[in-house]
Amino acid sequence: MNKLNIEPVQQDKIKIDIVDNAEGLTTKFVGDIDMEDPSILLDPLFEKIHQGMVAKKVPFVVADFQALNFLNSSGIKAIAKWIMKLAMLPPDQKYQIRIAHNKAITWQVTSLPTLTFLVPGAVKVE
Amino acid sequence: MPKPDGYIEIRFGPRWKYISPARVFIQNFIAIALSDQTKADSIAMATSELLENAVKYGASEDTHCIVQAYPETGVIEASVTNHASAKGAQEVKELYERIMSGDPLEAYIAQMREAATRTDGKSQLGLARIRYETGADVKLDVTPDNRVTITIIVK
Repeated sequence: MNKLNIEPVQQDKIKIDIVDNAEGLTTKFVGDIDMEDPSILLDPLFEKIHQGMVAKKVPFVVADFQALNFLNSSGIKAIAKWIMKLAMLPPDQKYQIRIAHNKAITWQVTSLPTLTFLVPGAVKVE
Repeated sequence: MPKPDGYIEIRFGPRWKYISPARVFIQNFIAIALSDQTKADSIAMATSELLENAVKYGASEDTHCIVQAYPETGVIEASVTNHASAKGAQEVKELYERIMSGDPLEAYIAQMREAATRTDGKSQLGLARIRYETGADVKLDVTPDNRVTITIIVK
């Protein structure tokens, strides 16, 4: 179990694992997010991560999309919603989302960098 | 435009489960027609977004998708047609006008910010995503009986 005690989730073609890394947390996405309403799965998960990051003062979370083959725009909306939560935090509670992407997957190269524009400084694409 | 060298036409009842196989089929078709995997991936994503909208907001059991390849020029034209309610057709027109005006990236970011605050379950991100990520010309046609066709042309 990870430092935030968040269980992995699996639905349809997507599996999301949450594991500790040396200084923070890694959320690893494997499969496809192409269901009709991914917010049912993603919104509660991102809310748990957000609350845990703030409560335990974890400095960063890696959102590892390298094994995510497809993400529809409803999935992008859920991620955008998570990122926008960072805009509401006072400076001493802020954490960073570091996006790990796979340059061999076209949508990741075009979609993921756009997320850095939502809240300046909150997201970094690696 | 000259006659296409290859085309596919897909017609299916609006069922979510058919979108994923349609996306893969379109991706493979373009990759073979143009020998361009990046373009195949981009257009498959774009048509998948259009098909999602057609299935989600369609008012009848008929979604129609045509993809045409012009290998000599590298152009791909893809269109998705469905029948919408009068309200749905009006919403698409308004969304199209908003997204097509101004810079594609700025329109996409603005739409993302708006999507994050929506509480009606819609994202309305698909068209902005397509315009920015594929660089496509995006055209909208709505007939008096509310048949909505969105066509993308990727050069």
